[in-house]
Amino acid sequence: MISAQTLTKLYGDFTAVRGVTFDVAPGEILGLVGPNGAGKTTTLRCLAGIITPTEGTIAIAGHTMDDDPIAAKRALAFIPDEPHLFEYLSVEEHLRFIARMYGVPDVENRLPVLLAEMELSEKGRSLPGELSRGMRQKLAIACGLLHEPSALILDEPLTGLDPAGMRRMRATISARASRGAGVILSSHLLNLVEELCSKLLVLRQGECVAYGTMDEIIATHPELNGRSLEDVFLALTGESGEAS
Amino acid sequence: MNALLYLSWTSARNRFLGAFRRVRSPRYAAALIVGSLYIWSFLFRSPNRGATADFLLGRPSQTLITLLMVLTLAGAWVFGADVTALAFSQAEVSMLFPAPLSRRQLIGLKLFRSQIAVLINTLIWVFVLRRGGNLLPSPLRALSLWILFSTLNLHRLGAALVQAAWKQHGRIGARRNRYSIAAFAFIGLFIVAGLVVHRSSYLGRGIGEFFSGLSDVLSSQPATIGLYPFHLIVAPTFAHSIAEWRVAVLPAIGMFLLHVLWVMRTDAAFEDAAIEASAERARRIEAFRGRRSFGTITGPKAGRATLRLAAKGHPALAIFWKNMLCLQRTVQLRLFVGPLAMAIAFGAAVASAGGDTAGFVSVTSATFALMMVVFGGRLIRNDLRHDMLHLPMLKSLPVAPSHVVFAEVASAALPMAALQLVLVVISYFASLLASRQPIPASIRLAVVVASPVAVLAINGALITVQNGMAVLFPAWVRLGSGVSTGVEALGQNVLAMMANLVTLGIALIPPMIVAWTSVLFLNASRGLSLAFVLVVASIVLAIETYGAMLYLGRSLKRVEPLQTV
Repeated sequence: MISAQTLTKLYGDFTAVRGVTFDVAPGEILGLVGPNGAGKTTTLRCLAGIITPTEGTIAIAGHTMDDDPIAAKRALAFIPDEPHLFEYLSVEEHLRFIARMYGVPDVENRLPVLLAEMELSEKGRSLPGELSRGMRQKLAIACGLLHEPSALILDEPLTGLDPAGMRRMRATISARASRGAGVILSSHLLNLVEELCSKLLVLRQGECVAYGTMDEIIATHPELNGRSLEDVFLALTGESGEAS
Repeated sequence: MNALLYLSWTSARNRFLGAFRRVRSPRYAAALIVGSLYIWSFLFRSPNRGATADFLLGRPSQTLITLLMVLTLAGAWVFGADVTALAFSQAEVSMLFPAPLSRRQLIGLKLFRSQIAVLINTLIWVFVLRRGGNLLPSPLRALSLWILFSTLNLHRLGAALVQAAWKQHGRIGARRNRYSIAAFAFIGLFIVAGLVVHRSSYLGRGIGEFFSGLSDVLSSQPATIGLYPFHLIVAPTFAHSIAEWRVAVLPAIGMFLLHVLWVMRTDAAFEDAAIEASAERARRIEAFRGRRSFGTITGPKAGRATLRLAAKGHPALAIFWKNMLCLQRTVQLRLFVGPLAMAIAFGAAVASAGGDTAGFVSVTSATFALMMVVFGGRLIRNDLRHDMLHLPMLKSLPVAPSHVVFAEVASAALPMAALQLVLVVISYFASLLASRQPIPASIRLAVVVASPVAVLAINGALITVQNGMAVLFPAWVRLGSGVSTGVEALGQNVLAMMANLVTLGIALIPPMIVAWTSVLFLNASRGLSLAFVLVVASIVLAIETYGAMLYLGRSLKRVEPLQTV
């Protein structure tokens, strides 16, 4: 569903991402982890078509971002860590805009259901500036889910959500995957990654240091057997995690 | 070194180095060379004496500038001050507001920082006025302009502080600032009284005598009483000799010092307004980097009248729909007052003799339509100049970049064209009822017939040029729906507007050649032939614009959020 082959992104002399390759099958959730500055956001932005990779190819639902970017983007939803909203559109207008953009059928029936699911029914006519941080995040999530994407890319999706919202979001991610969507989840919350993800991609300084299921990663690093994901992460990324 | 001085110095140094590094990009380097050549050709050519000097530094110009200054400053009191005058960076809000600093120290920092903009504008205008002759040595002219711009800047900041106090304290705040309010009421009263009492001196006397008549009225009592403080500020800039300058400069310095005193003594609790303004500025910057939320804007009106969007259709139409809502909720109607006032003044000057109301309406409408060609693109900005702030979202949408560009350009060009067409039609029908008709009826009819195509083509070209600047040079273009005002934008706005018009002028060369060729084959001085020529020329311009939009589509595909900062 989501495929990246030898993905590389350079900014002048600086290498943000180098030669990263991975695949996400339908129904699979890939956890993308790494320390700050490892290249996670750059990778996600390349996948979403926001920035163009210097080298490598990206395919979403069989459409490559080079040859058929519109079909690729139509199959995709990218939910960034900070909600990207138009400050002059109300909640409902955002959803109508996205519905038209992605050709969503039956929008009149879907809107109230989605608004209720995100607890935004009372806020349909509110502008983003009148919403709390969590509500804006919920609106961004609603915009991402409205067109039933077959590929879902989430960057720190729980940021700003209340405990109930976090639980609902975890359930939504699992439900979307079980309905056949390929999901990439980038997060520093390792317990979330451990709970939801079937595969892991660990980045460090723009390079892939581990990729596969937890068992596959342990098989290549037997010294980590029996250790928690946090320990595995710290060992793979070379970070101590101890207070100075 | 004082911490605030250190902050100002290192910020200025790093900003300069950042701008310098940006020029390493071939596109920005090429633009810098072209821009420098343009500025050189405009500013550094041998100064003209005679007619140009008379025009630029003559009494009518001085009166006009004084009046514009009064209108600008009064606007801050009538329509509300520009709160961005109080904007600090988010880092400054986070670190300086809780720091052990007094409000006066913060205001002092704000004033010190604004001096960079004041000095740049002084430099630009010294060279602009240099073309007007060598009546005054450049250093003296520079000092005069520095006093003028600094005083204007102080007044803008003072007005924002006073209104922040009103907001904070309600009526108590208004009582504390009663002297400022009374002063402007006093000034306005005398100017309006002068304009009303002596209206026969400038109305209905033709364009030539309109400005001299207006100048006479504003130079005589009772208007002079109200305008006296403004004359004091402007006088050194328009001095024609060193002796005249010597007499004028001390009162101007006095006015400047009075403003310093006023601003530094206005102990307004401005923090709330400053945080609001700072959040808006930060939103523009950070949103463009694609790292922050867009959710904290306070600009759009809370009105919820919406436009209907059909569930099915081309996705690019959804961008157009979105931008219409943006226009509806963010347009600043007060900015149209200036061009409208100028159009009314022009209409009054040329067509109000003998109570020719129809002629007045006709000339005013046509003038306003023409002024929208010059100013419209600056006032209506619901296109890529706004949406470049939303670049990450825009690029993740399933729409071809060229279609995005078409939709964005149409979003600003079509409302402008609609307004202009209405004005052209009003002007035409009013001209039919006018007592004097200096333009032949066949020519007027030809213009009306050709105007739908011509207006669309010209607006499309103008807006494409301005969107092109935003896509190709986002780091040099002000992004967002807000129109830049204030001293810091004065010089840059003039240069940007002229650069846009020069680019449009170059784009108009092929249509002009086609039009000229058509004239040779047709007797285009007559009615429908002229309309045909105008339509053909407009189509050529539209084809050029189409090519430019395709190019911009390719550029939009390449531009990345991180490159733009």
